[in-house]
Amino acid sequence: MKTLDEITRLSAEDLERISLDTGIPVPEELSAKVQEAVARADEAATRVRRLRWALPASGIAAAVAVLVTIGLTREPEPKDTFDDPYLAYAEVEKVFSRISGTVAYGASKITETEETLDKYAYWK
Amino acid sequence: MKKLYILVVLLLMSLTAFAQNGRSLYNKYSDLDNVEAVYISPAMFRLIGKIPDMEIPEEGSVNLGPIIKSLSGLYILSIKEGNVAADLYDDVSRFIQKGQYELLMEAKDNGEVMRMYTVGDDFVVNSFVMLAREADEVNFICLDGTMPREQLENLIAEAAK
Repeated sequence: MKTLDEITRLSAEDLERISLDTGIPVPEELSAKVQEAVARADEAATRVRRLRWALPASGIAAAVAVLVTIGLTREPEPKDTFDDPYLAYAEVEKVFSRISGTVAYGASKITETEETLDKYAYWK
Repeated sequence: MKKLYILVVLLLMSLTAFAQNGRSLYNKYSDLDNVEAVYISPAMFRLIGKIPDMEIPEEGSVNLGPIIKSLSGLYILSIKEGNVAADLYDDVSRFIQKGQYELLMEAKDNGEVMRMYTVGDDFVVNSFVMLAREADEVNFICLDGTMPREQLENLIAEAAK
């Protein structure tokens, strides 16, 4: 019996000659085994073809899901409180004054603390 | 395929987490009773920026000229103390945590708490939030935009003098 390596090294003519040699016994189940192997290869190829369609399809589905979610979570724009830009400006100014007032309050507390610490250090 | 589904689910969850912002909080609370709400849209900010007179400050007022064009939204909510005010305070605190805000300043006095937060980088502030819980009300101010950090800090420091 030849090994697989030896068979692959045979030329086409040698393979043809051997196949025509009726003296070599052919196992009974060979034909069924070959058909089975071909069927398995066909099935695998079909599965790969199916996957080729499934991958882009799932990608598209994911993209659609993301877009739908963005659409659903997108908040509607509220109505402007002011029609007059001067009033809007005054409001923004008020907001910044308030923020600044709070910062000033915080800064004054820091100064107070520093003064207290200085006094404590002096008497010590 | 399973990995893909997990990825999609995680993506959707992260989108939902990011969904809460100044606007969503404003939309949630602005129409409720006993809530004072102010919203200034990006369009209004553009309009303010185009009016040259606006950039000349009156004596003692804050000069907003350098920063006004960089603002894209202002949300203010003021709610009298109660369940709704407590809900707003909790919602804002959650939104601050999820939005990766950085604490700029905190002041506490006799049970009153005031915190300021910003989100952005060393050069630009994308959002500024001030949350104050006073004796009888909770105040939320959210400024969105692409504010140059230096200008914003100078403006606040200048006005605080």
